[in-house]
Amino acid sequence: MIDVKNLTVRFGGVVALDDLSLNITDDVVGLIGPNGAGKTTLTNAFSGFVNVASGSVSVNGLNLIGMAPHKRSRWGLARSFQKVQIVSDLTVEDHLATVLDAKGANRSLRESAIARALDFVGISSARNIPGADLNPYQRRKTEIAKCLVGAPRVILLDEPGGGLSEHEMQDLRRIILGIHPEFGAQILLVDHDVELIRDVCTSTAVLDFGKLIAYGNTAEVLRDEVVKAAYLGR
Amino acid sequence: MARRISGKNFITLAVVLMVIWLLPLLLSSLWVKVVTSAVIFSLAATGVSILFAQLGLINLSQVALIGVGGWVLLRLNYATGLPFTVSLLAGGIVAAIIGAVFALPAVRMRGLYLALVTLMAAGALQILFNAFQFPNGGEGFWGVAQQSAGDVRRPFLAQTDGAYLRYVMLVVAICFTIVGMHRFAAPGRAWAMIRQSEANAMAAGVNVTFYKTWAFALSGFLAGISGGLLAGALQQLDARTFVAGDSILLFALSIVGGAYHWLGAIIAGLLFKLLPALFNDFGISADLTLVIFGIALLHAIITAPKGISGQILAGISSLAARRRVSRD
Repeated sequence: MIDVKNLTVRFGGVVALDDLSLNITDDVVGLIGPNGAGKTTLTNAFSGFVNVASGSVSVNGLNLIGMAPHKRSRWGLARSFQKVQIVSDLTVEDHLATVLDAKGANRSLRESAIARALDFVGISSARNIPGADLNPYQRRKTEIAKCLVGAPRVILLDEPGGGLSEHEMQDLRRIILGIHPEFGAQILLVDHDVELIRDVCTSTAVLDFGKLIAYGNTAEVLRDEVVKAAYLGR
Repeated sequence: MARRISGKNFITLAVVLMVIWLLPLLLSSLWVKVVTSAVIFSLAATGVSILFAQLGLINLSQVALIGVGGWVLLRLNYATGLPFTVSLLAGGIVAAIIGAVFALPAVRMRGLYLALVTLMAAGALQILFNAFQFPNGGEGFWGVAQQSAGDVRRPFLAQTDGAYLRYVMLVVAICFTIVGMHRFAAPGRAWAMIRQSEANAMAAGVNVTFYKTWAFALSGFLAGISGGLLAGALQQLDARTFVAGDSILLFALSIVGGAYHWLGAIIAGLLFKLLPALFNDFGISADLTLVIFGIALLHAIITAPKGISGQILAGISSLAARRRVSRD
């Protein structure tokens, strides 16, 4: 269970997250909102990349605020980035190995963890290809696979569907829906694509101007007049 | 795949051992000294290259750290009866620690600002070297006396200049292997990820501060070892050898040689020490090498980002590919 309590993040005079509270129990939860609503700020506060003015982010009772970013990752917080971060001279396998290096996994576990994650997202054949030679969808899948190794507890996916074709989006749906049953991690999915959110998220939170304007069952949230107004503009 | 790589490693090892054995036999006594210096500076250049190629960081304090390693070796040589190799390691470790201290600003700075900070640190060390000089067998902590220098003990099996060149090449080969092991293991992967994006590295669980510090410490260690080797080769060090400006030259030559392969460091060492000696031998002013280095740096920046070594290796692999095609 992820419990965000009274979380406030300020950038100078701008209040990016305003006393936000959110209790997440479902396995796959969506986070939507117009540009500048605070979605990425929330994931960054989760990761430890921005200074939190007040409030807490706890997972099963453990408050992550105050923990160094790399320690959060070792504890089991994984994330992907809006702009895919693939290193051109590391192979797909190396990307996953880096995560396992940090977590101190032993040799035999490493091999099976890497094989399992690559097989799950469907890029086993690209295992030894360097980042520079991957196509955009392979890059995206490498980043997701990176989140799956080393027993993740919470996975933050920041716009994983950006720039993908319809066929690739179908495959991405399969991957996201399969993560919890296969790896047991809770997923927080940030995306602009309402179709993707509708298909994979049990519940959805909507942010606007750093405040939570709706939260609950995805279908109901998407029917909400306030949400429609926020998305379509007033 | 794995078998082919180990075959290639075997050939490299054989060639390296052959060179270590043959080179001192082929050179006259003057050129043994010059080549010894060149090989020693390739080791320091490797340190510069690691920081640049793996992390994209510019370190302009390397020559000063060579001085630190040399100072420690000379100090231990006169103050204790420790074997040469032990003093050499001590010099490497002290320079590694100072290098790691230099890394503190690197945690927050990059690019030009970091380069300036390291250059300032090199300037500070240059002043210390000038003020206190290098130990030559005198009394007290600084160990400097108005006398001709005492003897620097060399390793038991490397008393002559020729044998000492072999020792130097062996130490450098071992250090290159250590660097190679870093590149293809956890530190290399962590460095690559930090270079791409620190946020991404942290999200992967990489301790960015630790790995940046580790890279600086490794680079400093290599400088310290080369300083100790230099003290053993020359028997005495002069503060004028370790001016801050030479660190800029060493950095530039590491780029010209190629920062991404150990061959590049060897080329950098040869350009740094062998080319000026060759020019002297031909009766041309050695200062002319600076003009050539400038042109070479422009060439590297504009057309060959992987340096001369990158061009050589690309040439070899395209030759090999052509041979494979003609065989098929």
